[in-house]
Amino acid sequence: MGGFATALTPTHLALAALGVLLGTAIGVLPGIGPAMAVALLLPVTYGLEPTGAFIMFAGIYYGGMFGGSTTSILLNTPGESAAVVAAIDGNPMARKGRGAQALAAAAIGHFVGGIIGTTALVLLAPTVAKYAVDIGAPDFFAIMVLAFIAVTSVLGASRVRGFASLLIGLTIGLVGLDEMTGQQRLTFGSLHLADGIDVVIVAVALFAVGESLWVAAHLRRNVAAPIPVGRPWLGRADLKRAWKPWLRGPFIGFPFGAIPAGGAEIPTFLSYVTEKRLSKAHRDEFGKGAIEGVAGPEATASASAAGTLVSMLTLGLPTTAVAAVMLAAFQQYGIQPGPLLFQRESSLVWGLIASLFIGLTLLLVLNLPLAPLWAKLLRIPRPYLYAGILFFASVGAYAVNADVFDLLVMFVIGVLGFVMRRYGLPVLPAIIGVILGPAAEQQMRRALQLSDGDLVGLVNTPFSIVVYAVVAVLLFFPLIRKLVRPEKPSSPEEERVEV
Amino acid sequence: MGNWLAAGAALVAVVVVPPLLTPGGDSGATGQLRGLRVLVPNAPGGGYDITARTAAKAMEDADLLRNAEVFNLPGAGGTVGLGRTVAERGNGKLIMSMGLGVVGSVYTNKAPSSLLDTTPVAKLIEEPDIVVVGAESPYRTLAELVAAWKADPGAVPVGGGSSPGGPDHLAPMLMAKAVGIEPRTVNYIPFDGGGELLASVLGGKVAFGVSGIGEYRDQIEAGTLRVLAVTSADRIPGVDAPTLGESGVDVKFSNWRGIVAPPGISDVDRDRLVGLFTTLHKTAQWQEAVRRNGWTDAFAPGEEFGTFLEEENTRVATVLKDLGLA
Amino acid sequence: MNAWLKERSELGVSAVLVVLGVLVLTDALRIHTDFAQRGPVGPKAVPILVGSLLLVVAVLLARDVLRGGRGEAEGGEDVDLAAPADWRTVLLLCGAFLANAALIGVVGFPLSGAVLFWGAAYALGSRDLVRDPLIAAGLSVATFLVFNNLLGVPLPGGPLMGVL
Repeated sequence: MGGFATALTPTHLALAALGVLLGTAIGVLPGIGPAMAVALLLPVTYGLEPTGAFIMFAGIYYGGMFGGSTTSILLNTPGESAAVVAAIDGNPMARKGRGAQALAAAAIGHFVGGIIGTTALVLLAPTVAKYAVDIGAPDFFAIMVLAFIAVTSVLGASRVRGFASLLIGLTIGLVGLDEMTGQQRLTFGSLHLADGIDVVIVAVALFAVGESLWVAAHLRRNVAAPIPVGRPWLGRADLKRAWKPWLRGPFIGFPFGAIPAGGAEIPTFLSYVTEKRLSKAHRDEFGKGAIEGVAGPEATASASAAGTLVSMLTLGLPTTAVAAVMLAAFQQYGIQPGPLLFQRESSLVWGLIASLFIGLTLLLVLNLPLAPLWAKLLRIPRPYLYAGILFFASVGAYAVNADVFDLLVMFVIGVLGFVMRRYGLPVLPAIIGVILGPAAEQQMRRALQLSDGDLVGLVNTPFSIVVYAVVAVLLFFPLIRKLVRPEKPSSPEEERVEV
Repeated sequence: MGNWLAAGAALVAVVVVPPLLTPGGDSGATGQLRGLRVLVPNAPGGGYDITARTAAKAMEDADLLRNAEVFNLPGAGGTVGLGRTVAERGNGKLIMSMGLGVVGSVYTNKAPSSLLDTTPVAKLIEEPDIVVVGAESPYRTLAELVAAWKADPGAVPVGGGSSPGGPDHLAPMLMAKAVGIEPRTVNYIPFDGGGELLASVLGGKVAFGVSGIGEYRDQIEAGTLRVLAVTSADRIPGVDAPTLGESGVDVKFSNWRGIVAPPGISDVDRDRLVGLFTTLHKTAQWQEAVRRNGWTDAFAPGEEFGTFLEEENTRVATVLKDLGLA
Repeated sequence: MNAWLKERSELGVSAVLVVLGVLVLTDALRIHTDFAQRGPVGPKAVPILVGSLLLVVAVLLARDVLRGGRGEAEGGEDVDLAAPADWRTVLLLCGAFLANAALIGVVGFPLSGAVLFWGAAYALGSRDLVRDPLIAAGLSVATFLVFNNLLGVPLPGGPLMGVL
């Protein structure tokens, strides 16, 4: 409680609010994710004492994440990897005139996810930290296998086309230096490809550039009506659909954030798939503007961010780029996060945690009324809208490395996105392939190296065995169900699986 | 008519407004260096980034220069930034922050430009690696670890915070060579930075870890990590561990960071840059920053740094050739 | 024959997958693994798997197309699938995008960005020759100032940088 006394002074409140505003403003800029936002705003905080600086950081962090989701929903250009999933249903919602609702669902999702995540941080930090270091490569790989199984539910109407898309994503994921041995793969000798292709570039190219080209080919000329803005608030029906995803998301996001190398991409995707599976009435809406597909992943992303702070504060272990920048900031003030931080700098830590709660509240208070205003952005005429999308996609791709090569990569993948739209290859599996492929390969090979090549190394932890058991159940459950009740007509899910 | 007016106005606006609103250039004739740009070849928050930003801030605090612009051009272990620096031949207002990692990356990425193409300005700091195990590890001394390692290199996985060719990869390879283990048999597992490695060392996933001391200080003090040796020539103050030499492994190894400039710059420009960093090195602001970050001061200006760079380049190349990576 | 192929243009996707698969496989076989590899799975294994699967899926897709299966073109609020593909618009849009990439290093971002925006808006049917260039210029200059001057993310300013 002393933390709130620290954080609630007028100066600190003002700093938190300033942080949220700056973070959101910078987060909506193309190509600038939360890590970059925090890094860019580091100098602003030089003049502040540590507590004030970190309170402002907390605001920037959450603000930046929300800003990334805003462009993801409105313009189909995710600002950061955690916001990629939000575009899948958020952008279709916005196109249907439900942009304000999508943004509100995202904002409340961030709030709920952040509050639950931060509460878990307060209550569980030492315990979680203790178990987090026990999660190793075999466990990660088991989770990846689970995630690959989950991909089958987003393959779309035609399985073979879904798989083709997934493989295209896996191929893009192969590009770059092999992380384990330093060998070049599909780089064709180009240094620009040595680090691989950033998933945000791939997502913006497939989503935004591909979409713009596709629209250009079949532009609806006769309709001049701008996209309606619709009612500004979440209706009763929306709330009824969104509250469960909001609450479920954090339980997926927080643990992933807390374990090293967990990140936010895989949990947001898992949340999306979970919501799709659990939704009985609206499953067909997924991909076309289901509010659950925004609410769940956004709450997950926010809770994952809170989870990240667990390992950073208690172990001094940065698991994401943002955490790495914040760690560097801590060190600038001569503070070394780690097991002794809570004892040494207790007032700073509790002040920071209290400011997380305050930052989240401010984020909600400031952004909920702004949602309808943001959504009005889509009222501008179509040519300007798509020209603007291409403009911002280009700025984002170029600004990060100041390299024309990135623009060409984006163009080539954008053309690929166009072709995929023309021939009914779903875009989502490709994105999943880019995210999951490299991570799964690295963890599998790391696990095998730890066991010096023994295959047992993949299944020698209790956690991995549990996950594989879940995988087995998921695989065989439909089979068993069929055997038990063979006369039952096939469920909608199985119909959709038909090629 | 209006069309042409609008298009013309737009053209004038895009060409004239940005330069007018952007400060910079050599307007002031004071003794301060203006408009210096610092290229950071890795992402914000990385080692070169912190070094560059810390140095730039110390210079501004000490009134040595104004408007230094630090910018990131990450990619391929720093070789993308290196390529840019080498391409900016003759530009006396650009410097690049770099370190040992870039030396190895040039080989693993088969980069066309080498650090030997650049103009060395100064070596700034060193950061020794530590050989570290979790508190519950069976190894209590380096000798015990080396004995087990020699018996079966495959069964003793080594974790490091850098990809093949980087400092944390080179250190265990040099150690292996010194104690008679064929480097190719070393079971080296790269992690995404010292942070991710830390979890694996704490959780006992790897037999031992080799990494910079930065992220580990607090854990060492808390007793959750045990340092078996430091890789530098001398012991590190505040770390209760012998050097590799004291433990019978004849290796001296430190990660280092420094500053280079593009090739072909004028002698005036070079002397001014070397002078700038020599002055920086003496300021209280820099000394304080070095202490706060836990770095070891290892200043070496111009020519001296150039010789050092050549030696390091040869040493790295030898190790990587042994491994088939260069 | 032409009509037959046109009806089955999706076979082109199969062809692309085959090319991609062959590319991945040849690249993978080029990797040397006699060193630096530990354990049974080296840097080749996953590319070989992905490359082979690409070939398999290419065959399956071709079979599906020949049996009459068709990928469903994606609909959308702004998409009129009844209209024939308008290649002129697509090419103009690609031109605008690539013009930015080609010009950015030569004439600076403010001008190339404006060309991109105006070009894209023109391609998509906007013909207001007063408003369009002014909006394009305003957006481009504002973006440049926010990134370059406010945030310190450098963008090329153009030939007059440092002259004025």
